[in-house]
Amino acid sequence: MQTITEYMSASHHACDEAFANAEQAALDNNWSDAEIGFNNFRTDLARHFRMEEDELFPMLLSAGGPAGPVQVMRMEHAQMNTLIEQLAVTLAHRDAQGYGGLSETLLIVMQQHNLKEEQMLYPIADHFLASQRKTLLDRMRVE
Amino acid sequence: MKIISLNTEQAPPISVPMRFFTVAPLFLLMAALMLVTGAGNPFDDMRSPALLAATHCITLGFMAMIMMGAMQQILPVVIGSPMPASRLTVWLTFLPLLSGALLLPAGFMLGKPALLNLAWPLLGLAFIAFISASLASLARSPAHNATKTAILLSILALSGAIVLGMLLAQGHASGSLLPYDKLATAHISLALGGWVMLLIVGVSYQVVPMFQLTPNYPKWLVKGLTPAIFIVLLLSMLSRLFEPGSHWLTITTQGLFWFLASSFALITLRLQSNRRRRVADATLSFFRLGMMALLCAGLFALATLVFPAIDSLGTVSALLFLLGFAMSLMHGMLYKIVPFLVWFHLFRGGVNSGVPNMKEIIPETWKWRHFWLHCSTLLAALLAPWWNAATWLVALGLLLQGMLLEYTLLIAISVYRRTLERIGGVSP
Repeated sequence: MQTITEYMSASHHACDEAFANAEQAALDNNWSDAEIGFNNFRTDLARHFRMEEDELFPMLLSAGGPAGPVQVMRMEHAQMNTLIEQLAVTLAHRDAQGYGGLSETLLIVMQQHNLKEEQMLYPIADHFLASQRKTLLDRMRVE
Repeated sequence: MKIISLNTEQAPPISVPMRFFTVAPLFLLMAALMLVTGAGNPFDDMRSPALLAATHCITLGFMAMIMMGAMQQILPVVIGSPMPASRLTVWLTFLPLLSGALLLPAGFMLGKPALLNLAWPLLGLAFIAFISASLASLARSPAHNATKTAILLSILALSGAIVLGMLLAQGHASGSLLPYDKLATAHISLALGGWVMLLIVGVSYQVVPMFQLTPNYPKWLVKGLTPAIFIVLLLSMLSRLFEPGSHWLTITTQGLFWFLASSFALITLRLQSNRRRRVADATLSFFRLGMMALLCAGLFALATLVFPAIDSLGTVSALLFLLGFAMSLMHGMLYKIVPFLVWFHLFRGGVNSGVPNMKEIIPETWKWRHFWLHCSTLLAALLAPWWNAATWLVALGLLLQGMLLEYTLLIAISVYRRTLERIGGVSP
């Protein structure tokens, strides 16, 4: 069976793909594609955050998982959401330079966040939630 | 699994890495000064005082300085464990490294044993503090990944390089009878082939996919590469213990090392050509230049085995490794780390609007200017063993690079301070 680490890492990669498409289109001043790409990215990332904040994190905490790192992950989600709102403004203003600077910033925030999750938090979740893994994955799939 | 020690929010204050980063470019200026004040062409002989002094300005003052600053920042993210006693660690590493890195090249250049005798204990202290803090951090880390292994092996190689370096400096100062050539070769192998190479490989596993959204490195490479490099280095040390040294063992270990290093370079270039993020990026260009320089360093090193009488082949290989590979990657990394740190420390204060984005912190144009300047410096360095006047071009290139990097770092600090004043935060 797929592990939490594998399932959630694949979800990160899907978000990365959408992020890269939107950035490329915006920097090429291809705004109709940029808008489609950005909306796909925003939807994918919002779903990923819901899977974590509504399902994974509460289940991990009630199984006795560490609260500190979960709190940090939630805080970083909030940081990313702020950057996404700022990106939406540059997109509305057709501001390629502003978009490029913000997307560069979001990329690093997002990637170092993913790194911490994939290498530390998800393996911890796999460890704590071994017996509940199937239930959790089923619930996350319908988010 | 050690859950208790896991804490992902352990970034040190921004002043910690920045003090290391802002001092480092000044050593490029010092390296330039050493090269132009040396007698004759310093690139004629790898052991000329001017080249020895300039090399140590770069390896200790520039590279080790940046590494010590960056590791305090990187360890919490990649292995989930910060360095212990961060304030004490900073002072026990920063000041002794700074003074040792000033005194050692000065000692080589002026031929003053007293300066060398002051330098080696200071450098020893800085590295012992750094190595102990890194090992403590590794021991407490909950992570199990290849980067952790790479950092551990890199630190072990660094320990060996430092012990040999201290022995050599002390020997030079006191005039003791030591097998200098053998010790120096082992010192260089452990420092460049071990410390620098292993650390860059381990960090690349994380940052290459991260910066450009490339596929991950293949699993077999991630698992096997750094232990294989480390074993090859140990074998090459063994081959030098025997008298007379086994020629075939030397050739085999050299060949294996460069095979492993070239595989890393080729695979990195292939991953980068399959990147999902295709926007122009100075860091990517620095990385690609670095990987191509590593491949060329390997070709020149292997050429020395075929033509052992031509000294300049070895010099070119070392220059390609140091300036072309290691320095390119460090510049590239700095141009991502510094803007991110400034943004991160401004943003986490909870203020959402008015924080400049990464490209407003260090403007892209300056990164590209630096990239082309660095390419020109490298080209001049490759000509230097054959063309005396190129020494002046190398020195000019290093001088301008040091000034440019310092300027961009100061821009980043001034953006940080001005923004902080505007939003009313407190500087850490």
